[in-house]
Amino acid sequence: MRILLVEDDPALAEELVRALRAESFAVDHAANGEDGAHLGDTELYDAAVLDLGLPKMDGISVLHGWRGAGRSLPVLILTARDGWSEKVAGFKAGADDYVTKPFRVDEVVMRLRALVRRAAGHASAKIDCGRLVYDAQIGNFELDGLPLRLTAFEWRVLSVLVLRKESVVERPELLERVYEYDADVDSNSLEVIVGRLRRKIGAEMIETIRGRGYRLTCGVP
Amino acid sequence: MIGRLSLHARLLIVAALTGLAALAFAFFAIGHVLEGFVLRALDDKLDTQAAVLARAVEPDGRLDPTRVVELPDFETPGWGWRVRSAAGEWSGGSGVAGHQTPPMQGRGLRGGKGRGRDGRALYVRRLDIETATGPAEIVTAAPRRIIDSPLRAAMMPMLVSLGLLALGLAVATLIQLRYGLRPVRTLRDAVARVRKGDAQVLPVDQPIELRPLAEEVNALIAQNEAGLQHARRHVANLAHGLKTPLATLSLKLARDGSSAEARALVGELDQRIAHHLRRARAGAVASGQRARTNVREVVADLVDAVSRVHAGRQIEFEVSVDSDLVLAVDRQDLDEMLGNLFDNAARHARRCVRITAAVEEAMVRLVVDDDGAGMGEKDVVLAMTPGARLDESGVGYGFGLGIVRELAELYGGALWLLRSKLGGLSAQILLPR
Repeated sequence: MRILLVEDDPALAEELVRALRAESFAVDHAANGEDGAHLGDTELYDAAVLDLGLPKMDGISVLHGWRGAGRSLPVLILTARDGWSEKVAGFKAGADDYVTKPFRVDEVVMRLRALVRRAAGHASAKIDCGRLVYDAQIGNFELDGLPLRLTAFEWRVLSVLVLRKESVVERPELLERVYEYDADVDSNSLEVIVGRLRRKIGAEMIETIRGRGYRLTCGVP
Repeated sequence: MIGRLSLHARLLIVAALTGLAALAFAFFAIGHVLEGFVLRALDDKLDTQAAVLARAVEPDGRLDPTRVVELPDFETPGWGWRVRSAAGEWSGGSGVAGHQTPPMQGRGLRGGKGRGRDGRALYVRRLDIETATGPAEIVTAAPRRIIDSPLRAAMMPMLVSLGLLALGLAVATLIQLRYGLRPVRTLRDAVARVRKGDAQVLPVDQPIELRPLAEEVNALIAQNEAGLQHARRHVANLAHGLKTPLATLSLKLARDGSSAEARALVGELDQRIAHHLRRARAGAVASGQRARTNVREVVADLVDAVSRVHAGRQIEFEVSVDSDLVLAVDRQDLDEMLGNLFDNAARHARRCVRITAAVEEAMVRLVVDDDGAGMGEKDVVLAMTPGARLDESGVGYGFGLGIVRELAELYGGALWLLRSKLGGLSAQILLPR
């Protein structure tokens, strides 16, 4: 899962990027509204964390821009103002949720996971796929009722696949959702990650669709 | 006292005083002219008689009765004459008992008041002539009523006409005041509308004398509004400036595995900042103009926002608020109060939150019911404390009811937490229309 963080305060941004990466998210950071708007327009993200008070272009304008252009990525607003007027303005501009400063990382993470899950069309916090269960609230996978230990990259790939279970996720899209903007991507690295995942959850669960991408199959006994 | 006298009263007093002075002047002037007319005819008779008497006075000062001829009027009771010199005193007609006519200065006759033998008031003319034995005084008199009764007869209708004229002037003055002062009253109403929030500025199509005033007031309103906006922006910037490093600190503390005490300090800092920001905002509200906020719009926006916040839970909002219901409450403050109430209701509701509004005289009672578990009395007291959180494990939200009460009271309203018919809490807030 790949997140866009638009936050101008360097110290807060650094802490947030560190915390989100610790939760296995791929994170791109923009330090002003213009850069954030541009990244959101051109890159593929599962969700955006958007500060409202930004230099060059404020958060509400960034959001208006995305929604005006038909970008539907879930947006979590970070705001210093905890008034309902600001929240209403944020929601009217197209935000999906908000968090008031100061916040706890687990709060941001939990809300992000919920946003991504709902955007993928899952009403329940637990997503079953055969022997595999994804708890979208805490972000954990279980296999046959036992916790599954995953690296950050494995988690990113599997979380994208499980949210789109039984559907083909195109390879370029999967790459975009797994790697950060400035990551040095080895052409074979995705196959390596998928291979490791297959060993952990069973090779038959992740199908390779030749020339297109991968599909998580739940009907495997 | 004059400083507090109304324009209306000032103009009325001036109009009344000048009107009365003019009427009094007219009364006396017309009276004087009328008296002149009446006296001229009488003077002719009295003076002729005096001239006849003067010719009858001998050089030695005695009156020769054979030369005295009386005009026909002098046979009428009340008419009379008297000649007095060193040689003696003679009188005719009804005679003259006394008079207060000063001696002649030079030639001519003088008129004055006198008294007959029967004590009746007389109008007298006095003629002084020189004789060998000294001055002789000739006085002719007619009853005073000869002048008074025609004068009175003429003065009565005049008084009535003057009275009618005064009445007419008074009515004209009142009309003039009403018409003349109407723009002032209109301006006053316009100011009231601005204060009530029905209008943003004063209309400038005023009479030329009032236009600069309206323009100045408009400039003042604009300045006030700009100041309010500036204060709000400043408060918002302050919030952003303080809370961003606070968020960083909070994350750093969490990452470093700091003590719960240290993290609690961050929470306390946050609450203090929030409290003072609210106070600053409340101050800005108190100095601002009265607002007009449509309740239904605010409720619709907030229901949408709160639904998204609680998107994971299928809470149904039943809204029953008239579309034209307007509150004299600032939009941001209404957002804050209702937002907190809706959020609280949605958090505790099982399935349903009901929002109703009812007009109670000058106030509106907004009721937010939920079908949750409700609150105990102890929790109600705690919830009403500003900054207190009932649900300490909750993620990042202040409970907010203390804030709601603080704001409601600022507007002269109130907040009650009662048991709802739906089973949960019934938060009832009273706000001015």
